[in-house]
Formats: sequence, C-alpha cells, structure tokens
Amino acid sequence: MDNMMEELQSKTAFTIPILGGIPVADSCVVTWIIMGAIVLLSIIFTHRLKRVPTGKQCLLEGLIGWLDNFFTDILGPKGKKYLPFLETLIIYIAFANLIGLFGFVPPTKDINVTAALAGIAIIFVQAAFIIEKGPVKWLKSFLNPINILDLITRPLSLCMRLFGNVLGAFVVMELVKGLIPIGVPVIASAYFDIFDGLLQAYVFVFLTSLYMAEALEEEEH
Amino acid sequence: MGMIALGAAIAVLTGAGAGVGIGIATAKATESIARQPEAKGDIRTALLLGCALAEATAIYGFVIALLIIGKM
Repeated sequence: MDNMMEELQSKTAFTIPILGGIPVADSCVVTWIIMGAIVLLSIIFTHRLKRVPTGKQCLLEGLIGWLDNFFTDILGPKGKKYLPFLETLIIYIAFANLIGLFGFVPPTKDINVTAALAGIAIIFVQAAFIIEKGPVKWLKSFLNPINILDLITRPLSLCMRLFGNVLGAFVVMELVKGLIPIGVPVIASAYFDIFDGLLQAYVFVFLTSLYMAEALEEEEH
Repeated sequence: MGMIALGAAIAVLTGAGAGVGIGIATAKATESIARQPEAKGDIRTALLLGCALAEATAIYGFVIALLIIGKM
C-alpha cells in the first residue's frame, strides 16, 4: 500500500543546477520523448509526398482527413483556422495516454500536465471568442453570471476527468499486476491503456471543440 | 485513521450513480439501434461520449478518495 502511494506521486527526474536548482519533473522528460517521437514520425510520414498517395501517405491522409471532417462538423466552416490546434491537442494526448504501453509513466498522470492542458484549451477558446466577436462582446458575455462560472468549472472538469481516468487506469493496472502477473494484465491493458486512453483523448478534444463551437456561433437577434 | 478510510469509502460511492447513468444510456442506445439500425454509427459515437461523461462523476469520487487517503 505504501509502495503504491509512492508510485502515485509525480517524481523529479533531475534538477538543473542553476538559480538554486530547477526541478524537472518526470512528466516533462516523458513529454520531451513524446515530442521527439512525434517530430520523427512527422518527418518520416511527410517525407517524399506524392500527388497520388500510396502506402504510408494514404494512412496519414486518412487520419488527418478523418480529424478534419470530425472537427469541421462541430465547428462549421468558420472554425477552419482553429483545426491545427485541436488536432495537435488530440495527437499529443493520445500519445501521452498510450506511452504507458512502452513502459514510461504517462505524463497525463501528473495533475500539473492535465491542468496545463485544460488551461491552454480554455484560454484558446476565449481567445477565439475575442478574435471572432471582439473584446466588447467578450466582456458583455460576462453579464451572464453562468459564463463566469463556466470559466472555472470547465477547465476544472476537463483537468480532473483526464487526470482521474489516467490515474484510475494506472492504479487498477498496478493492482491487477500485483494480483495475477501473467496473462490477465495484457487483456486489462488493452482496455485501460489503449481503449480508455484514446477515448479520453477524444472526449477532451471533443469537449474543447464543443466549447469552441459555442464561442464561434452567431447569436440571433 | 479508521474514519478517514470510511470517508474515502463514502467518496467512492459516487460510482453507483455512474453505473446507473451508463446503464440507462446503454439501454436507450440498444433500443434506438433496434428501431433504426441504419443510425448505428451516430448512436455509437453519442453513446461513447455520454458514457465517458457519466463515468467522470465516478472518477471525481475516486480522485477525492485518493486525496483523502493521501492525507492519512
């Protein structure tokens, strides 16, 4: 039990020895690894693009096309310029949740990471609101107190949902591994790591895009 | 110590609500698939999203329970 509580803490990987030592968390180092992997994959997949796609290019175009359609359906044609951010977010969270398969600690198990992601998402939505409708309308929208409440509850629920799911999956997997070390963890991992990880990435970005759609929509007078 | 564990146990009771919620959602989804099999894909997407949202309440309870135990 004590062992497990220790596992739940987010650890410090190393300390940068300047300004009295800056601690660098494990989740940060794993994020660098994910960034490296994504950059490498991007280079491999976009290497020698052809007009008529074959092989890996088909795979890439299928994936990006699916994401494009998915977000355009929600946001409408006006949201076209916001697609890259949402797609980056879903790709990063999916990678972060799946990296547990390779023996790393998922960065989303650290509440600071999910809080940062939720914060970025909410700031992005507010920024889109200001860009589309102007700062005056943005300030006016807070005449409705529910909107002020939304500013707090939305990032909180986004953050807690992702963090809780990843942490819950982690705890259950540790318990299963402790109980039956052979065979069963593979099946449990398929559900908790792959299915739940991808589902949570989807839900996070889906909710963000719903909030976006709300910010972009035209009011009727 | 014992009371703290009890508090954590009560926090985890939120799982009951999530179970009922997901059960109702799944029941309605199967019903609507039986009625309109051609809308299967849309129904499945909506069901998955609804389940993930309903599950969140259980997750909140779990996080609270962990926080309580962590204070021990």
